[in-house]
Amino acid sequence: MKKVLLTMSTIAVAGTMILTGCGSETKGNDAANTPTNTQSNNAAANTSTGSSSNETANAPAGDMKLRILDANVGGKTPEENTQFEAEIKRLTGIEATLEKPASDYDQKVLTALSSGEKYDLIELSDLGTLATFVDQGVLTDLTDFVTKSSVLSDPTVIPTKEWDQLKDKDGKIVAVFSKFQGGTMPIVRKDWLDKLNLKEPKTLDDYYNVLKAFKEKDPDGNGKNDTYGLSTSDLYDIQGFMSSAGLKYRYVMKDGKRTIPYATEAAVPMYEWFAKLVKEGIMDPNFVTNDTGKMRNLFLTDRVGMVTYWDAWVGMFNNMRTQEDPNTKFQAEALNGIAGADGKVLLRRGDPDFWIIPANAEHPDAAKKFLEFWHTEPGITLGSLGIEKVDYSKSGDTYMLTDMGKEHNSDHGVPFWYNENVKAPFGKLPGVQAAQDIVKQNATLELSLPGWEDAEKIVKNYALKAMSGQMDAAEAVKKMHDELMSKNLIDE
Amino acid sequence: MKVLKRYGALYVMMAPVIAYFLVFAYYPLVKGLQTSFQNYRLMGDRPYVGFTNYSDVLHDSTFWDAMVNTLVIGGGILLFSFAAPLVIALSLNEVLRTWYKKIAQMILYVPHLLSWVVVGGIWIFLLSPDSGLVNMVLVHVFHRTPFNFLADASWARWIMILLATWKEMGYTCILFLAGIVSINPSLYEAARMDGATRWQQLIRVTLPQLGNTMKVVFLLNTLGILRIFDEVFVLRNPTIATKVDVLMMYTFQKGILDIKLGPASAASFFVLLLTLALTLVVRRVTRFDEV
Repeated sequence: MKKVLLTMSTIAVAGTMILTGCGSETKGNDAANTPTNTQSNNAAANTSTGSSSNETANAPAGDMKLRILDANVGGKTPEENTQFEAEIKRLTGIEATLEKPASDYDQKVLTALSSGEKYDLIELSDLGTLATFVDQGVLTDLTDFVTKSSVLSDPTVIPTKEWDQLKDKDGKIVAVFSKFQGGTMPIVRKDWLDKLNLKEPKTLDDYYNVLKAFKEKDPDGNGKNDTYGLSTSDLYDIQGFMSSAGLKYRYVMKDGKRTIPYATEAAVPMYEWFAKLVKEGIMDPNFVTNDTGKMRNLFLTDRVGMVTYWDAWVGMFNNMRTQEDPNTKFQAEALNGIAGADGKVLLRRGDPDFWIIPANAEHPDAAKKFLEFWHTEPGITLGSLGIEKVDYSKSGDTYMLTDMGKEHNSDHGVPFWYNENVKAPFGKLPGVQAAQDIVKQNATLELSLPGWEDAEKIVKNYALKAMSGQMDAAEAVKKMHDELMSKNLIDE
Repeated sequence: MKVLKRYGALYVMMAPVIAYFLVFAYYPLVKGLQTSFQNYRLMGDRPYVGFTNYSDVLHDSTFWDAMVNTLVIGGGILLFSFAAPLVIALSLNEVLRTWYKKIAQMILYVPHLLSWVVVGGIWIFLLSPDSGLVNMVLVHVFHRTPFNFLADASWARWIMILLATWKEMGYTCILFLAGIVSINPSLYEAARMDGATRWQQLIRVTLPQLGNTMKVVFLLNTLGILRIFDEVFVLRNPTIATKVDVLMMYTFQKGILDIKLGPASAASFFVLLLTLALTLVVRRVTRFDEV
């Protein structure tokens, strides 16, 4: 039996090695066949300059290999992904393998790590997961690398304060940003506001009137009562409205005690407000079962006048409709959240997207070199515009998007970045700058403490019931609060 | 050695199947059992912690909520997905026009071929409160107000039971029809000569002769009731989660979402043991060995 197992293992290992060998060779050849140009030389120069103070990042790139697992970075199709790998090779000399699962990314990451698969870089976007990975011994300490890197330690490349997000409880930096993360806010059909002679809403009553008009006054002009005022797809996206009662999603520490503002009496009138919208048919009744895709489709197909979503999507919405019809009147615009009694607006800033180097990475040096490259101009261009001659062409200092590049919305994992020295060649998509200004002014990170996964189920259950009118808001909040207390998920 | 020489070819043919089960069934099983006794970290040391994970799971009220949901939904599916196809198979057997019978079977069978992702998507759309077919019928035919079936906790379990029954009805129906076809026609002839009506033939001949098929179907369905997952995963939402989150969903949440692989493995071993116990009980009660 032992012999059989030994033979089987040997065959399996040999098979895997053969297959891996074949795969790498093919990619290597592709990359080698790709011509280099001035930009690649610049890139190499930028990268090596950026890492001049760092030994690892200075290693010659010629024989470097890199295995990346990510959700957003790369091509939009498997074919483009292969071209993306070749472009990394052209720009950095690193032979990269980019694995971008089509779905169930978090499961893929967990399965890969628990089965001992070795990746050099993994992209994540949840600080809760980062904290868990710290506890589970997954991460490499990057403090020395970041502080000694002339690229990453430059505050114009990444503001120094931002690094606090990626530190563990001992203050060690354990990840590196992959892009600038924005926030969510109400996004309105500005053309509908104009058509109905409505002003941008500021207060809860203003919002109610606007949403009611979107429902009742046929803003799309098709003569049918087929529009909704508001649609949303998850509880965290309603932050802009909850702001009017001074309520922040997830945990808020108050005098050293854990509280969840959505489970306090102050939330009752807000849930009642939503229930009123649902009862009057102003709010999309599918909001409980909606995913973000359905919500976006409603907005893009003139079925709803306001959604709650990311700042970047203001531009994407506008761009998508313009691509479809250059003469469209469609105009999406970001709205600020509603100020609370103290005049403060509370909006949600999303958890950052970041790279980790797993503790079992086989090529940490290549990973570090790539991380520096990713924050230089060529890296940012690759992550935003995409691949030269595929997504864009460059003549002198002038960039020109191809049809594919236009379709890809200048987003190959980095729609926005921290580096102030790198300007977007085409500017930002319409409406994005205003949305980002709102985020920078009012959006803050949410506090995710241990146990939030369990608490969130309870909060969502009762909040959505109250919002949809299935349960009296006061009763829902009381039950929510009692259940959270009984399970020791809040202190008061 | 003689045996090996004689049956060598057969052993060689069996090897891939044995290898498949060893690699994809028994190795993960043993590994899972090991994990359930460890403080399992994704990397680094993984110390053994005895029965701590099992104890944690047993003291977790969410596990017991999931257990209740599993038994209610699984029990409902077991009963309905046994009775409904039986009734339809018996009814179809009475249909004389072959073309109608074949078309009916085909229509009934189609949902079985679709994944839960597709079926879930279809029903989320059909049950939608504004544009769903079900609510349009309720509003326009019965003059009722639209109802959000998938967001109402009181409907949640029924939806899970009825959709699972609908999806698998065609498959089970074919098993029953195959059983009915294999009944010896002389039994019906004898019954008719004794003056039995159609109903009496059904009760006294068809059903007793279908007994063995029914036992197999019941046992197969029993094996699956604690493993319901896909349907719940696709159709659940936060407002009905407390009523539909089943044991496999609990395992998924602990293991994949919360990254607590030790307790997740312990919970999955509870599911395994319960399935084993349930199967043994059903075998004993139905006298399965006499099939």
